[in-house]
Amino acid sequence: MTAEKEALNRRGLRGWINPYHYGLERWAYTFQRITGLAMLLYVLGHIGDTSFFVGGPFGEGPSRSVWAADMAATQNLLGGIVLTLVVMVVVFHGINGVRLILSEYGLIFSKPSRPEYPYRAKSLRAVQRHMIWAAIVLALVAALWTGTILF
Amino acid sequence: MKESSLMLMQYVTAIAAIVLVTIHLLMQGVIVPYSTAIDFQQVLSVYKSWVDGAMLEVLLLVVVAHGFNGLRIILLELRQSASWTRNVNWASLIVTAAVMAYGTRTVILAVTGAVT
Repeated sequence: MTAEKEALNRRGLRGWINPYHYGLERWAYTFQRITGLAMLLYVLGHIGDTSFFVGGPFGEGPSRSVWAADMAATQNLLGGIVLTLVVMVVVFHGINGVRLILSEYGLIFSKPSRPEYPYRAKSLRAVQRHMIWAAIVLALVAALWTGTILF
Repeated sequence: MKESSLMLMQYVTAIAAIVLVTIHLLMQGVIVPYSTAIDFQQVLSVYKSWVDGAMLEVLLLVVVAHGFNGLRIILLELRQSASWTRNVNWASLIVTAAVMAYGTRTVILAVTGAVT
């Protein structure tokens, strides 16, 4: 392997968080990972948060007072913004994830053909691009809807 | 476990998570109003209901398995070596089991614990 190719393959974290000058699919790849990590972080917080329903890590059963204190701490402007963003990334990650599963099983690929100028990947046209845009638009709609419920 | 089996598990948990998270979100603000959904008595009745309580437990297992396997995939993609792969695999298995156990403890205590 040439030094240049080796360097391209070893860009690590900077490689996948910098999709500049790549196509829409590469941006979708980056956002799939960023939204995945963000949701994992939220899920950990949510599991910790809901454990206060039973009094927290050292609780022994459902506790009205601890739950009330937990709700008072999380049901505010910041909590609302976090929940709105969570719904947004969940919707994007879900729809883009369905696209990835369908493409993994070859269900939304175009027929292979000879490369022609301007050499755009034919397999990534139409349905795949539409699904990425659907993921973006529906994520924004879901965030707006959540905003109207929470605020 | 083979990587291909883990990837299949990632897809199966993804589809399951889409269904369960959609139901969960609808129950937390659309079908049930948000202010009611976070009320102590309402949350208790959800945990005590066999169907809703079991669904929350399955949601926990599915989302945690999918999330930590996803993190494992990202970490293995960033760096390749036998020891890194072994360590990341074991660490993700242990953390996944620990988080699942902590979340399951909440469900069990909510169902069986005395209300105070």
